[in-house]
Amino acid sequence: MTRSTGRGKTVAALGAAVAMLLTACGGSSGSTGSSGGGSGESTDALSGANLTVGSKEFTESDILKYITIAALTNAGAQAKEVSLSGSATVREALLSKDLDMYWDYTGTGWVNILGNTTTDVPSDLYQAVSDADKANGVAWLKPAPLNDTYRIAVNSDFASQNNLATMSDAAAYIQANPDQGTLCAASEFINRDDGLPGLEKAYGFKFSNVNELDLSLVYTQVGSGCNFGEVFSTDGRIIANKLTALEDDKNFFVEYKAALTMRQETLDMYPAIADIMAPISEALTDKVITELNAKVDVDGETAEDVANQWMQDMGFVG
Amino acid sequence: MSSGVDVSAGGGLAAAAGVVPVSRHRRSLAGYLGMPVFLALVLVALYLYVRSQELDSIEVRSLNGSFLLARTWEHIQLTVISTIFVIAIAIPLGVLFTRPFSRSFRPGLLAVVNIGQALPTIGVLALLAVAFLFIGTWAAIVGLVAYTVLPVLRNTMVGLQQVDENILEAGRGMGISKFQVLRRIELPLAVPIILAGVRTALVINVGTATLAAYINAGGLGRVIVAGLSTNRLTVQIVGAVLTAVLALLVDYIAGIAEDVLRPKGL
Repeated sequence: MTRSTGRGKTVAALGAAVAMLLTACGGSSGSTGSSGGGSGESTDALSGANLTVGSKEFTESDILKYITIAALTNAGAQAKEVSLSGSATVREALLSKDLDMYWDYTGTGWVNILGNTTTDVPSDLYQAVSDADKANGVAWLKPAPLNDTYRIAVNSDFASQNNLATMSDAAAYIQANPDQGTLCAASEFINRDDGLPGLEKAYGFKFSNVNELDLSLVYTQVGSGCNFGEVFSTDGRIIANKLTALEDDKNFFVEYKAALTMRQETLDMYPAIADIMAPISEALTDKVITELNAKVDVDGETAEDVANQWMQDMGFVG
Repeated sequence: MSSGVDVSAGGGLAAAAGVVPVSRHRRSLAGYLGMPVFLALVLVALYLYVRSQELDSIEVRSLNGSFLLARTWEHIQLTVISTIFVIAIAIPLGVLFTRPFSRSFRPGLLAVVNIGQALPTIGVLALLAVAFLFIGTWAAIVGLVAYTVLPVLRNTMVGLQQVDENILEAGRGMGISKFQVLRRIELPLAVPIILAGVRTALVINVGTATLAAYINAGGLGRVIVAGLSTNRLTVQIVGAVLTAVLALLVDYIAGIAEDVLRPKGL
């Protein structure tokens, strides 16, 4: 973006003007109530914009990146992708203008970027992160409902047999059946304050036994070596291994909602991006993203294909 | 250093065959005391280093006496049990492979043993866990044994083969049976080289047993993994240093065992 020519700036200004118009339209059409999905027809709200979308190294971040590229391209922008590795690297690339936007998580923003701890998490984490990050010139668009955080999962059959839907159910079940309360978990979860130690304290129970495993082995062990397992809530292997993630009814786990982050100056130049991404973001629930992740991690499709297919199925692109 | 490895003529032959050479000198008293004193100093330094750090709640979860003792004990169990299995498998196999009648099936079985060492242990553990849902202490022992059978087997074979043919001839000339030749002449003369193989297996097992942490088999690997996964350098250092101290200690004890068990006059 730093290299935009004079002509580019004119086009950008034009684009911004069109975007403002669209925003007005979008507002009114939104209030009349659209029946799900977006208006898929291609627009030129972002024509002339040349944007780079980044991602971290894991599947979900990759899918979100390609969804964003599809949306931007559909609005007339030129969008290219950059794959990086590690939260700190991608964030640095955003600040140094090597990329214009990427999806980050509210929990990552709070702890890794803003340097807070997991013990002082505000109730409206998105608002707190979004407000604090303004000082760094970074805007957080409205987050998706998807919350990629720790969960305790059980085998789906086991869940229905024992009426387990929430962590409170599980705590009661384990207290009544101590011989059934083995947890499979990875080292990090076992040792983190916002992992196992805090969870047991928050719900007032203890797992009868903890099997320490590599995280990727946990998914297959739940139901054979242990009844409970630590998982990430949107991991595709939850579906592949027929697991059910228990609801964190006391909101103990730190929230990791995904939100598109970009430099404020980019957003000021192309305010239409916020309106284009809002309905898409809104549709990205835990269930949706878990299924998309599974298509890549379990069925072996590419993240790009999965993202484009979903955008078409949902009518977000024409 | 009188305790240094002395590769004499026999050692040269052994080295050429990829076999662990044997140290031939019995050590002086100072030689015996050097290593334990050094290891004790390392542990004291480690303790003082950890004491000087301000530990947070995550570090305290790993860096406390009872946790570390339990992990060390698990680590010793993994090492010792797997080495016992290695000895029970590799030495009889080594005897078998040096008998003339084994010529027909020897290459095939040796290939299997070679594959065991060619496979990385973490791969074996992952395979057992993913394909057979087999995890825990016994799965870890399977992985460790598969990896360390080869050095003991090789040393047993070379140890038996290097026994002078004339001595065996003399034994047979005295009218003792083939089994007695094996038990009273061949095996005793092969003991130093076999023990050198066992010592290697023990040390390899101490190092490799850290991988057991990934499959619920405990050990000092849990300390290292905890440090890595939570990005706590102090925890990583403690796990790594304790593993290294244990490896050196096991090597030292095995060295003493070599000296004691070596037949007089060799």
